[in-house]
Amino acid sequence: MKAISTFLALVLVCAACYPTAGASGVAVGKPAPAFSLKDADGKTHSLADFKGKYVVLEWVNYECPFVKKHYDTANMQKLQKEFTAKGVVWLSINSSAPGKQGHFPPERINALMKEKGAAPTAYLIDSDGTVGKLYGAKTTPHMYIIDPQGNLIYMGAIDDKPSTEKADVETARNYVRAALEEALSGKPVSVVTTQPYGCSVKY
Amino acid sequence: MLVLIVLLLSAVVIAAPVKTPHVEAELVSEVRTFTASEPFWVAVRLRMKPQWHTYWINPGDSGLATKVEWDLPEGFRIGELLWPVPEKIVSGPLVTFGYFGEVFLLAKIVPPDELIVGNYKFSAKVNWLVCREECIPESAELALVLKGTREFALPDPKWKRPLGEAKLRLPASLPNWSVTASVIDDELLLNFSTPSKVGNLEGLIFYCEQSGIIDYAAEQKVSLSQSGFQLRLKRSQYAASLPEEIRGVLYNPAGWGQAVVALSVRGKLIQQAYAATSSPTGFRPIQQITSVWLAVLLAFLGGLILNLMPCVLPVLSIKVLGFVRRAEDGKAWKHGLVFTLGVLVSFWLLAGLLLLLRSGGEQLGWGFQLQSPSFLICLSMFLFLLGLSLFGVFEIGLSLGRFQNTGYSGYTSSFLSGALATVVATPCTGPFMGSALGYALLQPALTTLVVFTALALGMATPYLLLCSFPSLLKYVPKSGPWMESFKKLMGFLMMGTVVWLVWVLGLQAGMNAVAMQLAAFVVASLGVWIYGRWASILNESRVRLAASALAGLLVFSSLLGVLFFVRRDDVDARSEIQWQEYSPALVAQLLAARQPVFIDFTAAWCLSCQVNERVTFTSQEVIDELRKRNVTMVKADWTLRDDTITRALAEFGRSGVPLYVLYSGIPGDSPKILPEVITPSILIEELKKLK
Repeated sequence: MKAISTFLALVLVCAACYPTAGASGVAVGKPAPAFSLKDADGKTHSLADFKGKYVVLEWVNYECPFVKKHYDTANMQKLQKEFTAKGVVWLSINSSAPGKQGHFPPERINALMKEKGAAPTAYLIDSDGTVGKLYGAKTTPHMYIIDPQGNLIYMGAIDDKPSTEKADVETARNYVRAALEEALSGKPVSVVTTQPYGCSVKY
Repeated sequence: MLVLIVLLLSAVVIAAPVKTPHVEAELVSEVRTFTASEPFWVAVRLRMKPQWHTYWINPGDSGLATKVEWDLPEGFRIGELLWPVPEKIVSGPLVTFGYFGEVFLLAKIVPPDELIVGNYKFSAKVNWLVCREECIPESAELALVLKGTREFALPDPKWKRPLGEAKLRLPASLPNWSVTASVIDDELLLNFSTPSKVGNLEGLIFYCEQSGIIDYAAEQKVSLSQSGFQLRLKRSQYAASLPEEIRGVLYNPAGWGQAVVALSVRGKLIQQAYAATSSPTGFRPIQQITSVWLAVLLAFLGGLILNLMPCVLPVLSIKVLGFVRRAEDGKAWKHGLVFTLGVLVSFWLLAGLLLLLRSGGEQLGWGFQLQSPSFLICLSMFLFLLGLSLFGVFEIGLSLGRFQNTGYSGYTSSFLSGALATVVATPCTGPFMGSALGYALLQPALTTLVVFTALALGMATPYLLLCSFPSLLKYVPKSGPWMESFKKLMGFLMMGTVVWLVWVLGLQAGMNAVAMQLAAFVVASLGVWIYGRWASILNESRVRLAASALAGLLVFSSLLGVLFFVRRDDVDARSEIQWQEYSPALVAQLLAARQPVFIDFTAAWCLSCQVNERVTFTSQEVIDELRKRNVTMVKADWTLRDDTITRALAEFGRSGVPLYVLYSGIPGDSPKILPEVITPSILIEELKKLK
């Protein structure tokens, strides 16, 4: 019964938000909308499965130069490893439509992740863009952090240097790291929303 | 040898469009050579492959703004990078702002005051993100070598025009508008107070320069308000806090008049949220006309006053003599009507032509025809010959100076004097008329015609009155031998007008053109003398025919000779005041530095401007006061067509010169518009009001 009502709510929210992603009900301090997506091995992951844990959502597109900046410098992998080791769930989500940049067949995904040394909890395939639009994801990367109660505590950019210059990773202030560190040590998150930057999500 | 190496090196650098896989990038300049302290425009030109785009200063939901890092020679300064209006690019739920095809990112370079002659290299490191579906970061190191000289700035024929057109795509400033921003719930409201009613607002787009302020995909709602209009924007989810000032560009697909497509917006954020009912805080210049009836009245008065202008008086006073003559055969009123018709028709023609050209996108204002050297050549030749005719050198059948004829050609003459009066009157735009015409030209065509009709009627009224009440004619002296003397006297006034027109021609086309014009006068006067001497009825027809043909040949060949010769050769006039050449950027820069600024919108062919300048700006008292208050004097010279100046005039609700504007330099103060007839005492009084 509960699953049905959640599904209905999801459909309603989606119908309302479809044309303008920004109009989605996603906001810091409010419950993060529920979703279920499959990974490259066909295994389904639901947000509800991770209740009681911090969850990071990372919109990803391996072919986007902004994403490359963070993977080629191992910045993203480092974050993934460091925080999954601390019990944080890290979900990389790809919302590229089939045929568009960043969309890969499942077998290619596992190879790519291995090649890059990516270490998320799961890489989720959102080919029809439902979850991307539900969250109003605009760019790759676009980051969201959800607390153990299921509320959104951060949304926006990965750091404060909107560029494709790899050297900027060194000097940038990483908002995701800062928010996770604050949250894990029981402090309130100081910067809760920032303007995301990157390539457009290829819906 | 060394010279050769330098030449080779510079040649290599000059021809330097850099090609990346998706973009051709190049640093271009409007000039090839430049002089000390004379600023010039350069631009980073990006030409994208079809379907690919680069981004605006605020890329929108995704993307990245193009970044330019300048490397200039020692002592050179560069203004901020100016971005043309972008395109709104919608892809699914996302909105970005950028450029397809070709874009020029403009900046103004100010050379040092002390310039050593030689080649200078200007470099720019440019980074951009170019996207179609996918995005590629690219970069290029661009360079440009220009020669610094003592003589003059030589325009680059290849880039002068493209850069001029690119400047038109830059947002214009709006000194008479006031903009405030306020927040209600999740909406950001921009309240625009406009000096006059705004036209079509359909399809209006506000491009916010700052990222993360508004939701780009959301609908922007426009509604008219008491003082202007209001724009309701949805706030971005990512707007954690708002800045004190909302900056952006307001794009109107229908244009803002005068070929301005976009306006630069700086809206102070008002913290309290109930701004919707607040009263207009916008500054309204007193001379700004908002009612059509006031414009009609002022146009009528202006028309009356035009009769006394030195360029109109000779033509019309002779006409009065014509009336004196008619009074005797009781046909005066008919001629009065025909004269009025002549004035009306030619005003309509002028207004119609002006509207037609403007609708074609030309930047023109009242008096535009005097910006054309060819027009000046023809008009001065015509008036010169008219003067000779007044002196009695010759008479022709349709001569306006001929009073002896009657009937058909008499009416033609009346009609033509009306037309001629209109044509010669335009440079003498009297007081009142500046605002009336400025208003008229921004209105729908019908209103424009009504205002111009009022102007024409004003001009013709004295004659209409004289004609309708022939009893008034008894106050006009009876005809007699004195008329011949009066005619000759008017001939001198006519020659005075010719001198003035030739002077304007000199300013526009240079000394050589003046010499050519004077030579043409000599040849043409030989022609009309031959005509006057041998083409009279006393001679046999063969002689008359030959004389007429020879005269026509001489007049027309001399005229054509000058027309073909004309070349521009700018000569600048010197005066005690150090004038700076007008540019919106210069004014903005001075105001940012809290400097008081005086702008003189003028033109060599504008007689009242010249009188004002001779009387007011040469006065020692005025000069002292200006120095004391450290006022920067800026001259916007409209002698030749200049779109930037036309646009600036429009912002003050004008379409002609003179216009005098004084900025106090205190932030928040509105510019003060001074009267068209400016005297030393008026100016000094205004200057004393400055802090």
